[in-house]
Amino acid sequence: MFNFTLYKREMKKSILTLVIFAGVLTIYITMIVQMFDPEMASILNQFSEIMPGVMTAVGMSGTVTTLIGFMSSYLYGMLLLLFPMVYVVLRAHGLIGKYVDRGSIVALVSAPIKRRAIAFTQMKALASGLFLLVSYITLLEIVCSEVVFPGELEIGSILLLNVGLLCLQLFIGGICFLASCVFNDAKYSVGIGAGVPALMYVIQMLANIGGSVENARYATFFTLFDPDGLIAGETAAIAGIVVLFVGACALFVAAIVVFSKKDLHI
Amino acid sequence: MSAIVISNLTRDYGENRGVFDLSLTVGKSEAFGFLGPNGAGKTTTIRHLMGFIKPKVGTVTIDGRDCWRERDIIQKQLGYIPGEIAFFDDMSSAEFLRFTAKYRGTGNAREKEMLDRFDLSPKGKIKKMSKGMKQKIGIVAAFMHDPEVLLLDEPTSGLDPLMQCRFIDLVTEEKKRGKTILMSSHMFDEVERTCHRIGIIRAGRLVALDTTDALRDKHVRPYTVRLDDEQTASAFAKDFDGRQDGVAVTVSTRQTLEQIFLDYYDVSGGDR
Repeated sequence: MFNFTLYKREMKKSILTLVIFAGVLTIYITMIVQMFDPEMASILNQFSEIMPGVMTAVGMSGTVTTLIGFMSSYLYGMLLLLFPMVYVVLRAHGLIGKYVDRGSIVALVSAPIKRRAIAFTQMKALASGLFLLVSYITLLEIVCSEVVFPGELEIGSILLLNVGLLCLQLFIGGICFLASCVFNDAKYSVGIGAGVPALMYVIQMLANIGGSVENARYATFFTLFDPDGLIAGETAAIAGIVVLFVGACALFVAAIVVFSKKDLHI
Repeated sequence: MSAIVISNLTRDYGENRGVFDLSLTVGKSEAFGFLGPNGAGKTTTIRHLMGFIKPKVGTVTIDGRDCWRERDIIQKQLGYIPGEIAFFDDMSSAEFLRFTAKYRGTGNAREKEMLDRFDLSPKGKIKKMSKGMKQKIGIVAAFMHDPEVLLLDEPTSGLDPLMQCRFIDLVTEEKKRGKTILMSSHMFDEVERTCHRIGIIRAGRLVALDTTDALRDKHVRPYTVRLDDEQTASAFAKDFDGRQDGVAVTVSTRQTLEQIFLDYYDVSGGDR
């Protein structure tokens, strides 16, 4: 069911991308955490007053009086949704779609390895990379907070928040991975794999603005990830991430089944 | 006992492309030549044998196992050279061969022997290699685990004449070692030199299936020429590779594959 040699190769390829993403996120996260101070918070609040639409669209609203509330607004509204999402889109394509598109999948399928095992290994590589990225984010947030504002961060809440983030990103990964397994052409596998999550995010931005388009939030899975709800420990928010996780599993299973049964014209 | 059995295989891609009601068998330890022009359905047939695509109609088995359902078991004893080589561009060929051996878990007992045979030094990225070099890597990857069944899809394409010869020698040796070989080609010569039986496929249909000797006899036309004196006859025989008998010299012309196809086209009454 699992091929370690292939997994090792894919993880090696993932690491380089992960290092780049981790580097960029390190800069952002350390900057944002350091920005938490009442004065800066009031400046940001002024921004919100000047251009309320723009700030709420990217999720930067709400309580900024606690460190975790501040992080929830300024990291989990956009940055930590989009950066890992780009990683997931790139890798999900690289793990199956690219091989099929270029025909090099032949090197993987002309071997005494079940197709299911190939797809499962690739899925595991995708999930592992994501797990590493989110773990790094969590660790970085805790270390940064403890250095700059010792004792200020509620560790339990930040852990739950990041479990939620992992579930959301796994769900996005599931969409990309399924697209990668269904389509033989990179045009479609990337188009659908990146297009659907991007569209969902745009809908989320619209819904954040509120007013007449607020109901748009029922049309996007991003609604299932509710950072403020998770921090408050709301049951609905926890149910949301459970749904995302179950959905992710279903998408991955579907992808593996599709890959095992499809014709490969290579 | 037949190692490879294809029965009533049909796969219609439309516009007369694909394979239609194809049936053939390759015996154990037999070398079978699969001839046909580009787009005749050779690769489609081999894809079915590899378990890449599922037969719509008909069945395909190797050693009694279904090529779609039991492909992973079949692959343990199978070596394959794809018609189009597309390996991992990011690896050097040494890395690729090491990866393949470990990934398959079938070893690389003959890797060094194969590299030596084809004068290949496995350095440099695959991306930067010429077509011939990639083809050689493909050959090494297909033979290094010493498989029992070999599916070779136009294996000599991109190789220079010297390497083509070495490849043909290799196939001949493997046949003697009892391996089952199915080799596709659009060149009569290389198949003729290695294979015991030949099947000719055209527009997805098998148009001829016979031993190489029988096909050769059918398509070789001898001419006997009488010359003025024995000396001229001997020179003539030498120049045209003929057989001299006094002043008479028998030369034979071999039809090109194209002509052979045309022959079969006429016989089948132009059923397209």
